Amino acid sequence: MKNFFRKVAFGIGPNEEVPSDPLNWALNQLDDIPNLTWKGRIPSGKEMIEIHARKNQIELKKIREKYKNDKKLLKIGIEKLKNETGQGFWPSLELSIRHTEAIHSTSPVLAKLWFFWSNHFAIVDGSFRTQFYTGPYEREIIRPNLNQSFEKLVYDVTISSAMIHSLNNSDNVGPKSKSAKNKKRTINENHARELLELHTVSPASGYTQEDITQLAYIMTGWRLGWSKSTKDTMPVEFDKDYHQPGKKSVFGKTYKSGKKGLANVIKDLVHHPNCRDFIATKLCRYLITDNPTEEMKRPIIKAFKDSDGFLPEIHKAAIKVAFEYNDQYQKFQNPENWFLQMAKLADFSWPTSSTIMDLYEVGRKPQSAHTQPEHKLYDLGHNPYGSKQPNGFSDFEVDWMSPELLIRRLVFAKDCFELTKSKNNNFKFYKNIVNKNFNKPEKIFNYLEKANKPYEIQILLFNHPEFLRA
Amino acid sequence: MKINRRDFLKTTAATSLFFAGFGLPSFAGQNKKNLVVIMLEGGMDGLCAVPIRGDKNFKKLRSEINLKKTLKLTSDFDLHPALENFKALWDQNTASVFHATSIPYKGRSHFEGQDMMMSGGTVPYQEKTGWLGRGMKLAGLKGNGLAMSLPMPLLIRGVPLNNNYFPIRSSLPQKRLLNIIAEEFNQYSEKDLSETLSIVRNRDLNYFPGTNAATLALEAGKLLSDPNGPRVAVFKVENFDTHAAQGGENGTHADCLKEYDQILKALKASLGSTFKDTLILTLTEFGRTVKQNGGKGTEHGYGTAVLMAGGLIKKSEVHGDWPGLKKKDLFEGRDLNSTMDARSIYASAMSTVFDLDFKRIQKDVFWGDKLDNLSDKLFKA
Repeated sequence: MKNFFRKVAFGIGPNEEVPSDPLNWALNQLDDIPNLTWKGRIPSGKEMIEIHARKNQIELKKIREKYKNDKKLLKIGIEKLKNETGQGFWPSLELSIRHTEAIHSTSPVLAKLWFFWSNHFAIVDGSFRTQFYTGPYEREIIRPNLNQSFEKLVYDVTISSAMIHSLNNSDNVGPKSKSAKNKKRTINENHARELLELHTVSPASGYTQEDITQLAYIMTGWRLGWSKSTKDTMPVEFDKDYHQPGKKSVFGKTYKSGKKGLANVIKDLVHHPNCRDFIATKLCRYLITDNPTEEMKRPIIKAFKDSDGFLPEIHKAAIKVAFEYNDQYQKFQNPENWFLQMAKLADFSWPTSSTIMDLYEVGRKPQSAHTQPEHKLYDLGHNPYGSKQPNGFSDFEVDWMSPELLIRRLVFAKDCFELTKSKNNNFKFYKNIVNKNFNKPEKIFNYLEKANKPYEIQILLFNHPEFLRA
Repeated sequence: MKINRRDFLKTTAATSLFFAGFGLPSFAGQNKKNLVVIMLEGGMDGLCAVPIRGDKNFKKLRSEINLKKTLKLTSDFDLHPALENFKALWDQNTASVFHATSIPYKGRSHFEGQDMMMSGGTVPYQEKTGWLGRGMKLAGLKGNGLAMSLPMPLLIRGVPLNNNYFPIRSSLPQKRLLNIIAEEFNQYSEKDLSETLSIVRNRDLNYFPGTNAATLALEAGKLLSDPNGPRVAVFKVENFDTHAAQGGENGTHADCLKEYDQILKALKASLGSTFKDTLILTLTEFGRTVKQNGGKGTEHGYGTAVLMAGGLIKKSEVHGDWPGLKKKDLFEGRDLNSTMDARSIYASAMSTVFDLDFKRIQKDVFWGDKLDNLSDKLFKA
């Protein structure tokens, strides 16, 4: 039963009590969204987009012009600009905020679900701008919605700057709109397709190409505001000059022209039976097994339907199912979840403290401590802000089993010994955490007895098959 | 000498006729054949790598970034001087070029383009597996892919248990501990983990060779030349996106081409005799504008060139149907046009290397899209 604490969260730390009622311990974390636990600076999305990203965008053009004859100076110029806008620092700050929520907060179950939704609504990493706003997007758009309806979550995500930019909806222009009159402009279906395929109903719903096209028409006009001096790093607005006039039809239902069309169509998409099935499948896959059964999904689908998509109810149903199947299925943990569980159990000095992170001043080159989180997660092969496709990181076990990714786990368990506290470097400490987190501690003790030194315990314990799964 | 479109067509047609009849699949299956794909990210400028000779208009449009010194390929095309190893292979009939080609993407966004060059689809982000992964699946090649990167690139997703190599600056735990872990994996019947760990244990992690492309290529060559090793390897060279200081012989684009050229050199050396059973192809999201921009660079374009090397190359030749560089010949009046869907080249390469019927690849990997079978024209069977 004790693997449940890692299955739905990140395990029990050495100084924590093992909850006597694990299910209720988990369920009680899902109604309220407490403030973030991170004590240091938490920049707003507005600041990130309108100050830092904007400056970067405008200055980059000037630098390219200035150093067009010298590739070395150009490189130095770009590097300097990176420091001037804190570009190398923000991703590590965001990881610190995120990891604190997993390891040191009183709602780790909520954190694990926050990570799930952030990956469900993944932002494609590529443009330098993602380094400025993927973190704030997950904090300000996704997290506060975790005790709201799925419908509201989808709507807020869909009109967020991060998603509009990531899936190019600014380029989605109605061919009969006012702005297409003099210039040849037409739709870009990216965002519309992913809203159907990845965010709501999934291909199982049987939508057609025409449904995608029609949804793209509904979405025309939702774009990043643009001006010559600020480029396109302004907040999202609905600009009717880009909106395709006339009625549209998705899944056989007609939607009127205008701003409200998007909210109306999202309402219908989240009430589609395939949407409930898809979300239930994905939650079960994340928490329980690659191949969820109909029985597993049923209570989650029911909770979705009965509560009109109220996320705390959906989450509770999923956690109950995970609890019910806990002994039957153990899910291979993705690298970030594995690392966080190791950090929690072994009481690592992780992440870098807020005092140190707050010493960073925009304009300066960050110290290695300021960039450590991003480098570590990159080395691990799972930087959650580094998704290359809009479907995020895989939840299938097979995608995490490659030689290099296994090497990372072996090497990380060894090298992260430097993050341990010397007072913990003894058998007694490890015995305590094994007792709290493993179902048959004696079996693990026998295995750990093969270790000669504390750092060997760490390598063996965190690469034990029971720890790799939860 | 100025090439016109008709003459160019004539030469290619004649060449393909000359080679028709060769390449029957009777020799298939004797040696393990390998396919290496080098992804050139950022948009490789085919006109910089393989510039047209004697086109005054072209020279004028690129007055500040033109190559003053080139290597000669044919009477119509030159080669960028950074590609000296490619030229050496060309001289031995083991390198060729397909010019004026592109994946079916005209949108000029890196992220969409890179997604599509790997998925092989015609719509960005639509496919969740890669064309190479689907091709390997069709050929029944499980566990035969090798990515020279830490995350598995989309390109080879679609088959389980691919291998990867991207060393970390650290060492593995001692053998004794690995043995204990391996034993535990066995006890828990963790089959995939056990298999993966056995690959890991054969790796020499006591030195850190670095992660630059040429070093990775030396390792890839070793693994590919093992008869039981992988049959597919995937590389990535970044920074082809030269909006500024693209330069001529010594600019940023030259640095990137040199990196590609170093991979070729290292692969040639480490593949040894396996080189003769190997194809090494480049893949990029788009070419670049014909005209230089204000920053002595180029903007995102359309048509580009695919560089091909390896012992399975039929003959050194610049293939393709040259569309010309006059304004009316350009795509949207600014980019080199594409006269061949680049996926035809990749489908043909998979047909050759995996000994699969072209039509099956066309149907099962590329959804029956209209593609040309170029296997006999470009490659040895």
